[in-house]
Amino acid sequence: MKQLWTIFKFELKSYLANKIFIGVTLAVVILTAIVMFFPRVEEMVENIKGEEVTEEKEDDEKAVMLIAGAQGELVYEAFAAAFNDYEVKVTTDTLDDIKKQITSKEAECAFVIDDITQYTYYVNNKALADHNTVVASEVLQMVYRMSALMNSGLSAEEAEEVMTFNVEYETETLGVDQAQNFFYTYIMIFALYMVIVLYGQLVATNVASEKSSRAMEVLVTSAKPTSMMFGKVLASCTAGFLQLAVVFGFAFFSFNLNKSYWDEMGTISAFFDVPASLLVYMLVFFVLGFLIYAFMFAAISSTASKVEDINTSTMPITLMFVVAFLVVFYGFNNVDGMLMKVVSYIPFTSPMAMFTRIAMSEVAWYEITISIAILVGSVIGIGVLAAKIYRMGVLLYGTQPKLGEILKAVKKA
Amino acid sequence: MKLELKNIEKNFGEKQVLKGVSLVAEGGKAFGLLGRNGAGKTTSIRILMNVFPANAGEVLLDGKPIDYKKIQFGYLPEERGLYPKKKIIDQLVYLAQLKGMNAKAAVKSADYWLERLGMTEYRDKRLDTLSKGNQQKIQLITALTHDPEIVILDEPFSGLDPVNAMLLKDVVKEEIGKGKIVLFSSHQMNYIEEFCDSIAIINNGEVTLTGELNDIKRAYPRNRLVVRSLQKEVIMEELGACCSEGEGDVVIVTLENPEDKAAMMKRLVEKFDVDEVKVMEPTLNDIFVEYAGRQV
Repeated sequence: MKQLWTIFKFELKSYLANKIFIGVTLAVVILTAIVMFFPRVEEMVENIKGEEVTEEKEDDEKAVMLIAGAQGELVYEAFAAAFNDYEVKVTTDTLDDIKKQITSKEAECAFVIDDITQYTYYVNNKALADHNTVVASEVLQMVYRMSALMNSGLSAEEAEEVMTFNVEYETETLGVDQAQNFFYTYIMIFALYMVIVLYGQLVATNVASEKSSRAMEVLVTSAKPTSMMFGKVLASCTAGFLQLAVVFGFAFFSFNLNKSYWDEMGTISAFFDVPASLLVYMLVFFVLGFLIYAFMFAAISSTASKVEDINTSTMPITLMFVVAFLVVFYGFNNVDGMLMKVVSYIPFTSPMAMFTRIAMSEVAWYEITISIAILVGSVIGIGVLAAKIYRMGVLLYGTQPKLGEILKAVKKA
Repeated sequence: MKLELKNIEKNFGEKQVLKGVSLVAEGGKAFGLLGRNGAGKTTSIRILMNVFPANAGEVLLDGKPIDYKKIQFGYLPEERGLYPKKKIIDQLVYLAQLKGMNAKAAVKSADYWLERLGMTEYRDKRLDTLSKGNQQKIQLITALTHDPEIVILDEPFSGLDPVNAMLLKDVVKEEIGKGKIVLFSSHQMNYIEEFCDSIAIINNGEVTLTGELNDIKRAYPRNRLVVRSLQKEVIMEELGACCSEGEGDVVIVTLENPEDKAAMMKRLVEKFDVDEVKVMEPTLNDIFVEYAGRQV
């Protein structure tokens, strides 16, 4: 036990003293800070800019939009109202002249409307986010309907009332609001995924580099292989958790500093509105999910002799985990479906699947208990098996044995 | 303190690596474990250190099964290697702590050994900034910081310059002087000859020869004389068939009966201009080639 603690401290210290670890954590924290402070900064910049803009408003020319064709005059007012960031002009120029004006950048774009149900849009370079045709279509539909209503005998006011009629409604969620929870569930699952893949690989590299530097020769005579493996896995689990805690903690802190600026953004606010019970589940599934994969990473990498072999030898685990992630991700569409129910009991998918179900739906307590019990049992089982493989693997050099051979040897030992 | 391996057997899969290895090493003496590459030395050492269990046989200390909780081992493996990117003092303290020392005592002991081997200036450097010989000295320290009762040194002299080899010799002599069991494994026969009182030669998983080195040497027939003389040709002509040519000025005279050696010595010294004449003892090298080269 004392040995395990010594190894744990040593490994954790080397994570925390690692420049890349510190650098990545800092970078993510800074990035989070930038995102969280963005609305505040944006508003400040806008305030400064705003003063300048009012002064220079006269010089500031709007882009020109030309309206041509038989119906041009008729729709001018409606277009001018809809495109208020353009200087909308009606023109009687020929089509060639209009095209010339656009290519020479005198005008940015033009609508040639010969019939209210049909128009042509001219623009030089169509931007990806060019929604002018969408707006124009809506405006023309509106004009068409208005005139139809008025033709059938309604007054202009009555017609407008019909057109702008709104249905009022209210929603009362009695269970879980999936739309609201989707965002933070997604982020948490993704964080779980990233941390397990990254730290699993780190554990694997760590084991293999001890072997390739032959530090293992001394280590196996100084410490029990089981202490070595558990010490390493627990240290990386703690490091991963600390990193997550720092990033999310800082995000939460800086969100609260800027809370008033975020009020309009429902999703972001919802993200920080995670119930405490869900955070506890997150922690439970994070630890168990991490352990089950980290044990496998440690066991497999102990049979590799070189760090270069790690990527190929851990590929099956990584693939399995990616598949698990994709299955759960697919299940997001229907969290109460059969697929999600099944995978929330399989230990390799349950950390993500059960967590998703708890976050986005209502799950009975016994279902959660059974899922966690299966997971805990599997963690222990895989931990014991991994320790056995590890004990053998660390002394193996040369060709890496196949999984079947390893299991056979473990069975014999 | 007496360490015994008794009929140790070990299989890896179908292959039997050790076929009943027995040997006895005593405290206050150095023991040489010899054998060709792949003979089973490292496996024997690992079983001795309880890295893995033997399939049969036992490890005894003073006649009782060894208690690994009470007995500490210090090990310098043949394949050297520690953490290349970590500070030297950190890894020395870590490894000593794994052996059960507390942090404070570990730092103190590590500092003592750094000083003793003239490595104090590297205390806070990273291991990979050191030369190979200096890295080896650091590795030696890891075998000694926790003051083990049994020290196992696998090829301790390889890669050391003569000055460092001297330093290491002094350290090893000190450790032997403290009554520890020091186990050497090496292919550098001159060092084994210099240090070890007893040896065991392992060949193909079996001990083909073990015992006190002096006894082993005396067991060889003492019927050959080494004669060093500038009159090499004259001697060879005179004595005829019983002579064979040695290296340089040396003639080797083989006698039919070892009891004739005094008479032959007298004859040689009186008749020729002889610089040196002595009974030819087998070198450890000869013994090794004879016992370890044998195909079983």
